Amino acid sequence: MYLNRVHRTFPKLKKIITRPQSQAALAEQNEYTETPEYPPILDMSLKARKLRERETLYQKIKEINTVEEKQIALNMPRYYGWKCVMFNETRNPYNTMPLVQYYTRSHFIPVDKLPDYYNDTEEAAKLVVQEIKALVEEAIVIENEGIDRDFPVTNESSIESQKTNALAQSIVKQINRIITNNLTDKLDHILSSQVDIEPRHEAFWFVGGVDPPLEVVRWRKQYPWLKDTYDDPIDRPVQYIGTPMLTLRGKLPLKPIIPYSEAENPEFKVPQFTHTPKTVGYFETHRHGTNIPGYWPGDYDEFGLVSYHGRGHIRGESFGDQDNLEALHCQAMKASFGWLLAQANYQGFTTYNDLTYPLVTQTVVTNGQLWSLYAYQLNTIEMHNDKFDSNPKNNVCFGTKPFKLYDTIENGKVQGLNEEVLKMLVKFYLNTPEERDHDMKPYLGKEEQVVADIEDDNRRSWLEARYKHLVANRPKHFLLPEVYLWEKIYKIRFNTRFFEAKRRPFEKNVNPFNRRLDDHLPPYIPKVLRQYPRSKKKFETTYYPKV
Amino acid sequence: MSTRWYPIYQRGNPQLRVFLPNFWMKIVRPAPKQLPNVVQFQCSIEMTKHDIKNYLEKIYNIPVVDVRTKISLGKFKRDVGKGYIVKDDDIKNAFIVLPKDMKFEYPNIFGDKDGDEDQEKALDEAKKSFKNYIDRNKHRPDVPSWFTI
Repeated sequence: MYLNRVHRTFPKLKKIITRPQSQAALAEQNEYTETPEYPPILDMSLKARKLRERETLYQKIKEINTVEEKQIALNMPRYYGWKCVMFNETRNPYNTMPLVQYYTRSHFIPVDKLPDYYNDTEEAAKLVVQEIKALVEEAIVIENEGIDRDFPVTNESSIESQKTNALAQSIVKQINRIITNNLTDKLDHILSSQVDIEPRHEAFWFVGGVDPPLEVVRWRKQYPWLKDTYDDPIDRPVQYIGTPMLTLRGKLPLKPIIPYSEAENPEFKVPQFTHTPKTVGYFETHRHGTNIPGYWPGDYDEFGLVSYHGRGHIRGESFGDQDNLEALHCQAMKASFGWLLAQANYQGFTTYNDLTYPLVTQTVVTNGQLWSLYAYQLNTIEMHNDKFDSNPKNNVCFGTKPFKLYDTIENGKVQGLNEEVLKMLVKFYLNTPEERDHDMKPYLGKEEQVVADIEDDNRRSWLEARYKHLVANRPKHFLLPEVYLWEKIYKIRFNTRFFEAKRRPFEKNVNPFNRRLDDHLPPYIPKVLRQYPRSKKKFETTYYPKV
Repeated sequence: MSTRWYPIYQRGNPQLRVFLPNFWMKIVRPAPKQLPNVVQFQCSIEMTKHDIKNYLEKIYNIPVVDVRTKISLGKFKRDVGKGYIVKDDDIKNAFIVLPKDMKFEYPNIFGDKDGDEDQEKALDEAKKSFKNYIDRNKHRPDVPSWFTI
């Protein structure tokens, strides 16, 4: 009996009263070594401490097992979503190329024909073109003249551009059908590939090395210890959203166009673009970052082959021919990078954990008559603020100018079909994916790679529901926090209501937009539903990744 | 363009009044930092993007590629004396995009501050002598400066 069990009732007593035993039992061990062992000397400056904090976050995200949890982890710091630069596929303001190149870290190489990588399939492509030529001509004529197209018009873009895209989409569907039909019995990867029509392509990443906005500089200026960091660049979350007309994807990845070691080639240069994206015409909205390559995690056909995009947004002559051409290049770079980044995310890489091998995709931008072809190799996805200047890798994009597939349609006949263009297109299909001899998913678990692999029923279904809800980006049930204008005038700018109780977040010096994703009450369990016989657990368990 | 009528007869003087146009544009130093081919203006709040484009193209022969506008809130301040809060007018900012091979740099109108060392010296001297004068006379307030030995 120890103190007649009083110490259980008054736990603090235990500290005051000395132990009855004379000495604690200690295992025999020698704590002395030949040479002194010191703990590592850490830089304790503010910058270094913050960097270590961020590095632990990157490490934690890397160690998470499943794709979905990694995606939730990326969004953990923001309950209301990141303030993302919206990178729409079709939004290409004037002179946007430097920004797009820097944000996607793409070196652009203009070419007149496809790179040498495609030369092996020259003969096969010629044969296929001879077989499908007549069919393609017929399809073009029917789609252009034989069909009275009626499609729902939305207010999102001009009617003219929607008409162009609708026509292009039907032609693309036909040509894709003709080429795949011809190749299915010749090539395995075409037979087993999946065709997606208007899939959902979204990608999310961080770009560092961008000038801080005025508000951030103003915020920094109020703290004397931030004196050296007033103009330090900040991270910008970027969200790409695009809808291709049609994509093809398969089980295996395409071969790299250039060897992976070439990725660090200093000839592939991407100049830094430090101006805020607003100055070019890209604006920001609050949303959760999403990475969706047109299918959900766990799909077996997870590598892209070709994607087709419309060019209805190219506006006649307004910014001139040169800028229209650049707009096409930008669209292709954004679309290719966005799709590949989303695919890379499904392989377990994120914007914080760089790719360990290259990925390749092929992109076509067309309106049915004009076709421009792009081949894109993704070498790196790590360009956030800690890595933007130390990461030597760049992505590479080969792109052609728009070619005319045919000149005109006269009397129900296609005039001047350009077989070269058709051949290049066929070469994209003939480009056979190959199995890689390295681990494709080094940062995913061995047993659990997607949420569906998790055995615990509660955890699996909770994560599945949370992930789908997160990437749906539906509006919140409650209105977003807001500082009303009258408050800004009479409470923040001028202290005219000093006698009122201070209850609003800005009066308590809290930024509600810094709330974390898991900073909410979980669903309440009503008493009747609690576990028998007696359970004090009032709220359901949440399974947010611990980052 | 002016919404005012051409001088109709008014009693009194002056008989000839000058009517300024409603449309005006003022070039300002850009904030935040803009691309070299972007120029920031403040303009009449009634001007639309088309007006701005025409104004620059037709009057000044400036090739305008794109116009972006933004109406920013006027500043609030406390009325001196009365103590209530008043607000300045809103400002329409126009960001004019020139062709990308063109450059515009906002001129440094007032020169560098470091350049005027002589002027600063003179100002310091003047300040010093004024302070001397105040110190000398601090014990005899309300006495005019000429009333001295």
